[in-house]
Amino acid sequence: MSLFFLNPAYLFGLLAASAPVIIHLLNRRRIKRIRFPAVKFLLLSQKRISRTKRLRHWFLLALRTFAILVLVLLLARPIFQTGAGLFASGGPSSVALVLDNSLSMTWSRDGEGFKQAKDAAARLFAAMSAGDRAALVATNPPTKEPPRLKREKEVLLRELEGAKIGDGSADFAAALARAYELLREPAAEKEIWVVTDAALTDWDRFNLAGLKQYDPAVPVKVIKVSAKEQPPNAAVREIRLRGQDVNVGLPTEIQAVITNFGASEIKDVLVQLRVDDQAKEQKLVSLAPRGEVEANFQFVLARPGSHTASITLKKDRLAGNTVTNFTLEAEDKIKVLIVDGDPQTSLVSSETFFFTRALNPEGAATASPFVATVLLPEGLASAPLESYQAIVLCNVAAISDAVVPRLKEYVRRGGGLLIFLGDRVQAEDYNRKLYDAAPSILPARLKDKRIVSASALEKVERIDTKHPVLASFSDPILLESLKSSRVAGYYRTDASGASALIALGNGDALALEKKFGSGRVILFSTTADRDWSDLPVKTAYLPLAQSLVSYLQGGNKGALDTGVAVGEPKKFTLPPAYVGKSLKIVRPDQREREVALAAEGDHAASAFNENDVAGIYRVSAPLAANAPAALAPVYPVNPPFLESRLEAISDAELAARLRPARAEIVSIDALAKGGSRSDLALPLLLVLIVTLVSEGWLAQRFYG
Amino acid sequence: MAAMAEGERSYFDPLVLARLSSLYLKARWVVEGMMSGIHRSRSKGFSVEFEEHREYSPGDEIRRIDWKALGKFDRYFIKETEDETNLRATLLLDGSASMDYGSNGITKFDYASILTASLAYLILKQQDAAGVATFSDRIDSFIPPRAKRGYVFEILRALESHRPSGDTNTGKILQEIAGKMKRRGLVVLVSDLLDDTEEILKGLRLFRFSGHDVIVFHIMDSAEIELPFDGNILFEDSEEPNLKVTADPQTIRQVYRGVVEEFIDHVRKECHAGMIDYQLISTSTPLDRALVSYLGWRG
Repeated sequence: MSLFFLNPAYLFGLLAASAPVIIHLLNRRRIKRIRFPAVKFLLLSQKRISRTKRLRHWFLLALRTFAILVLVLLLARPIFQTGAGLFASGGPSSVALVLDNSLSMTWSRDGEGFKQAKDAAARLFAAMSAGDRAALVATNPPTKEPPRLKREKEVLLRELEGAKIGDGSADFAAALARAYELLREPAAEKEIWVVTDAALTDWDRFNLAGLKQYDPAVPVKVIKVSAKEQPPNAAVREIRLRGQDVNVGLPTEIQAVITNFGASEIKDVLVQLRVDDQAKEQKLVSLAPRGEVEANFQFVLARPGSHTASITLKKDRLAGNTVTNFTLEAEDKIKVLIVDGDPQTSLVSSETFFFTRALNPEGAATASPFVATVLLPEGLASAPLESYQAIVLCNVAAISDAVVPRLKEYVRRGGGLLIFLGDRVQAEDYNRKLYDAAPSILPARLKDKRIVSASALEKVERIDTKHPVLASFSDPILLESLKSSRVAGYYRTDASGASALIALGNGDALALEKKFGSGRVILFSTTADRDWSDLPVKTAYLPLAQSLVSYLQGGNKGALDTGVAVGEPKKFTLPPAYVGKSLKIVRPDQREREVALAAEGDHAASAFNENDVAGIYRVSAPLAANAPAALAPVYPVNPPFLESRLEAISDAELAARLRPARAEIVSIDALAKGGSRSDLALPLLLVLIVTLVSEGWLAQRFYG
Repeated sequence: MAAMAEGERSYFDPLVLARLSSLYLKARWVVEGMMSGIHRSRSKGFSVEFEEHREYSPGDEIRRIDWKALGKFDRYFIKETEDETNLRATLLLDGSASMDYGSNGITKFDYASILTASLAYLILKQQDAAGVATFSDRIDSFIPPRAKRGYVFEILRALESHRPSGDTNTGKILQEIAGKMKRRGLVVLVSDLLDDTEEILKGLRLFRFSGHDVIVFHIMDSAEIELPFDGNILFEDSEEPNLKVTADPQTIRQVYRGVVEEFIDHVRKECHAGMIDYQLISTSTPLDRALVSYLGWRG
């Protein structure tokens, strides 16, 4: 039961009700003074004026005040409502019904909330009179087709019947903007109804006053579909990768962080990991009130490429998103061709021994992402270079003429070349074939060989830790280890030490890089073994070797992708050859979409916005010559984490967010009881007439 | 006719009279105007040169024979003196502060002064003796009744020199004057009677007991009768500054009028019972009405 006003602005006129009292008080203040001889008669008169007569005076004042009050109320058009009321009885109405079909509605009132919300909306549509019009505005619209006001209640009921819960958050700003847009059409009375679970997450970011266009005169009625008691409420907040990369054949560790939104402990929640639609592992966890718990999983991926996976929470009556999707991009093992230019009979004294061990310290095939193949220089001519991601030349005397073009083409197409020098290297041959002859792939021209005495060993001085190869050397232990290396011999180059990745204390470069085509070449001016430096026996050598090879093969690491939240755009970046082409995307509901790629800087880019269904989206790119698309063929879309939170906004806070509109918040239970509305204009008009007539008659009788 | 009636009415209009400079002119204006309207024939031959004689008759005192007239007319004439007039009128004018009130351009005191002056003029003109006393809480001036020529100027001087002030103590004053008057005559009280009513009536009765005829001209301003004001008003008493009352005239008007009416009725009844002539006169009433009522009494 409530009373509200169709024209509440007129209520400011209530101030006018104080006019008679103010006039009375002002008159008292503006008192005139008169010298008068017959004051004794006045005194006698006052004594004779009875209490009743004074009361009459006040009664008239009260009647006049009351008349103004009634007039103001009449202008403000009061409507008396019992129950929740339905369509206003004042004339043809236009009602925009905003239906909250966000994911959180799934769990409201133990799963019955959305059905009850639809029932409430159906009651409203069923109560439409002949001239009334209504529109259904969903917060998570399934299509982009804009809603419109309709008179046909059957059509509206059908629309309502077809409404389904979306996977994302409710966008009340967009929904109410649409509602106000619809209600711009003239109507005797306008209203906005919002049926919602009043989830704090959705309403917390809404503020009516922030909308570009709204009409504060249109009242907003909110039907709250929420239960007093909350069920257990938890969801996966984050899935993260533990350890380094995701590689084929190596153990992959992931961690799921699960949050309990409720104030009670949730015991024995089953957390299941599925990879490629197969159950891999499951764990039982208990969640402290409003606490978090981490569930760790370890598994091995057998094949390179993309894998779909999910974490599922299982518990009776558990409210909140239960399935969280993610994808894994597993890298195959990196194949490295190592050319030993100074082979020895002893493995340890071999030129390549330290480098090979650095790539696979344990020696076991399953322990390293690198697979190293060692060749003699003679074998290089017949080796299938394209099947390796990186080639390492160690103290190779000279590059045969047959190999040079193959090597350059290999680098141009994206291969990585790492060159270690040594006492066998013929600098003139390197300069002529790899530096002078176009295309040049050597980072610098080799100059003279410099061998220093044991007492004057060169120190490693400057390390460019901003370079991806050396990023891990921002760790002080590794940095110290690298800097503690002493170099006894190296080739000087014509490059300045300033451009080097690593430089010696005297400013000479120790490591230089050159990009050529899609590949990279790194020149190390000393040996890969201990002949010219003690670097191979330093702690820093292993990460340096692995980092160099990883970098040279393109930096591709296996990765975990938790994707985007429902409603957020997914961005794609591809090589420039893809500009003007389209990506084909298949949504989880099997709907296919195409996204055109446009030039953005020096690459092709695009964004896909229709991520409104949770699940795995599949992406395929057209083939482009000479430009492999580094594109993961799948990406996951998950409901926003906070959409799982069932905590409701308070009525006062909700009303504040709907200000300056006049908001009325009623429980869905109140609506179920039904109700009616009455326009109080006519009764008030009668009261006003009676009051005015009474005032006139009494004034005449008292003072006439 | 209408113009004439208008002219006649303005002849006695207190406001017109108030504009005249001297009280003598005012009195003469009123009396002559009235006489020309009512007793035109009687005023014929009136002259300041006229002296009244009567023929000697046995019993008259020898010393009162006018010897000059004997020489001129060879007959005995007796010179009439004032003692021989029929009437000795004492006009009592209330000069208290309450009389200094006027809502319509003329104060009660001014009106009462003109009335008193006119009465004195009329009385003297009719060869009767007239005297005047002005008073507030005491007797401010007292001109005993005489009938001699030019006495009117003495009376008017006394009236003109008085300005209304002070409290009223009419009852006591009346008793005091009654004590001073040795011979019977006419006592005319011109007052607003805003004092202790019973004391005033007591004083008036005292005159009656002494054999005087008494006429009371009760002067009231129309505002005192009607209370025509609007809005909230602080009424301050003319005579007692501490006597104040705040009232909304609209609220109490009806009752006030009743109170005033009761007061007038009471005075009128008491006067009637004491064989005192009572005449209520509003300051908006033309002055001739008061004089006519006097002449009515005089016969």
